[in-house]
Amino acid sequence: MRTTLAGSICPALTAAGKATMNGITQSTALWYASRATGVVSLLLLTAVVLLGVLVNRQGRLPGLPRFVVTGLHRNLSLLGVAFVAIHVLTAVLDPYVTIRIVAIVVPFSSAYKPLWLGLGAISLDVVLALILTSLARARISRRLWRSLHWLSYAAWVSALVHSLTSSTDLHSGALLYLAIACSLAVVAAVIWRMAHAGREIPREERAAATLAMMSPDRAPQTRGTPRDGASRRDPENVR
Amino acid sequence: MTYGTTVPHPAPFPGPQQRHTSRNGPAGDLPRLLPVHGAVPVDLHTHLSRHEAPPYFGHSGRLIPVLKAAGLTGRGGAAFPVHRKLRAVAEARTQPVVIGNGAEGEPASDKDKSLLWISPHLVLDGLQLAAEAVGSQAVALYVHRNARLQERLRAAIAERAAARIDVAPVEIIDAPPRFLAGEESALANRISGQPAMPRFKPPRVFERGVVGRPTLVHNVETLAHIALIARYGPAWFRAAGTPEEPGSMLCTLHQTDGRRDVVETELGTPLRDLLRLDGTQAVLSGGYHGAWVPAADAARMTLSNEHLQAVGAFVGAGVLVGLPADRCGIAETARVARYLALESAGQCGPCFNGLPRIAAALDEVASPRPDPRAITDMIRWAGLVEGRGACHHPDGTTRFVRSALHVFRDEIANHAAGRCVDPGREPFLPLPADRALDAADWN
Repeated sequence: MRTTLAGSICPALTAAGKATMNGITQSTALWYASRATGVVSLLLLTAVVLLGVLVNRQGRLPGLPRFVVTGLHRNLSLLGVAFVAIHVLTAVLDPYVTIRIVAIVVPFSSAYKPLWLGLGAISLDVVLALILTSLARARISRRLWRSLHWLSYAAWVSALVHSLTSSTDLHSGALLYLAIACSLAVVAAVIWRMAHAGREIPREERAAATLAMMSPDRAPQTRGTPRDGASRRDPENVR
Repeated sequence: MTYGTTVPHPAPFPGPQQRHTSRNGPAGDLPRLLPVHGAVPVDLHTHLSRHEAPPYFGHSGRLIPVLKAAGLTGRGGAAFPVHRKLRAVAEARTQPVVIGNGAEGEPASDKDKSLLWISPHLVLDGLQLAAEAVGSQAVALYVHRNARLQERLRAAIAERAAARIDVAPVEIIDAPPRFLAGEESALANRISGQPAMPRFKPPRVFERGVVGRPTLVHNVETLAHIALIARYGPAWFRAAGTPEEPGSMLCTLHQTDGRRDVVETELGTPLRDLLRLDGTQAVLSGGYHGAWVPAADAARMTLSNEHLQAVGAFVGAGVLVGLPADRCGIAETARVARYLALESAGQCGPCFNGLPRIAAALDEVASPRPDPRAITDMIRWAGLVEGRGACHHPDGTTRFVRSALHVFRDEIANHAAGRCVDPGREPFLPLPADRALDAADWN
């Protein structure tokens, strides 16, 4: 039914798109691409939120130095934006439904599913604001950057609701479990963040704590012997 | 120690010594900031008979072009053009705050304490003139908890109030005993009632500082220069120094024999006229955020950023230390690096994770037959922390450590072979007494 609809809007596409492979024709390619990049975007945004919580609590990933966590958080967020861009562009270009360019960024202005696409637009706006303020972080007020970063939780929730409502892909099967897993992971991360809020080393003791960890009793008799492994093994533990 | 005359009020720290270092004639009027005869604290009467009352301009803003013509730069270390901060604060729409910064956190520097002790009225004149120039009534002097110094300053302020020569009342505010307490955003936090920890810029404090108001923060020596330029004009100020770096400045000199003096000297004075360089292996310029310079290079240089920046050092707040030839520069630097690491405010990951690691690695290099990986680790970590703090503490610390790795490379080779020029001697570079620090120290 879908092919016929698309074909009636754009016959040129169906003419060339007869040969199918797993149901993907040239006319449905954009539609599949949009759905697929949407799912990948949700996964990436979830990973970025999880890493963001980890960065914020100065946590680390097993076997990786701390600055890698920050680096992953930053790079995955850029990758996420790339996928979101493809997701949005393919959705607009897909002739199945008409989505005006404005509706990408102006929430609830779409004629098609205004509420559910609006949530996606909100999410996109926030993500763009986060990327821009992070790129300009050295030049803007820290407070502005921080307060905007709080919105990332809202952006994630709005992206999840958008994913669940705009398409039925996530309503069953493996993708449903994926959506549940993403939700559980973010909820767990938020709980972990709150539980760790009071447990960090006070600012004024942090440098002394690191120094104590780095120089475990440099007694004269230990000189010349290989250093205690703990401090040597993660030399890159710099955020 | 020799002072020009006997000192009737013994200063609670090493005192200044006059030195007339006129290079080529016209600056024969040095010292400008210190009294002509010895380290005698100047009372209001003596001050007014030498300089007369502060020449108020009767309108905000008029002083600013005069300071621009004089080319005065901040004497707290950053050498930022003074007129630019004043202009920014004067043009702000809200009531600004003016703070004289006497929090000299640098353990090797005495010049601000000495100036406040000996010539408090020049600083207070400068504070009043700066307050008038930006149209402020909220004025304070930020100084370390030193009961005798604060008592003297309170007495000086009271004397001026009685003589009615001030336009705004001056409050004295305690600075905590931390290296970073004088960093201007830490100062703004402290005066706003928070711990004296640096904050991220922007906004700079001259945009939003104490309780969110535009705040003019000037080092106390800068204020004293302002007081003199307002009276005697830009041409007089430029009679000393070089065309690019005009004027005089206070320096804290540490000679190889352990002598520690505060002197006033022209910018552009040859370093060999300030420090006795024979028997010196290296000169530390710019304090503990500064850099080591080999003595042979220092002998060809003058006290100017033009010369010092060519070798990665700078004039800073005028701390110059001559390290004796028989001392281990690596061990000295390691001790100070450890101190600097512990002075991290613990706010920025690169700083509180990186500096202790760098300090521990330098400790390793200072020990006999160190792990050869320590130096490469250190250089990699230095690259990871630079430019990534709210303040310049990581950058200043790595500049100091990097310069030591370069200047003392022969000593590093010695250590690799299991030798040291100076095993286990008394420390040379001054540090505050070792003691446990806690949260209260930041308030």
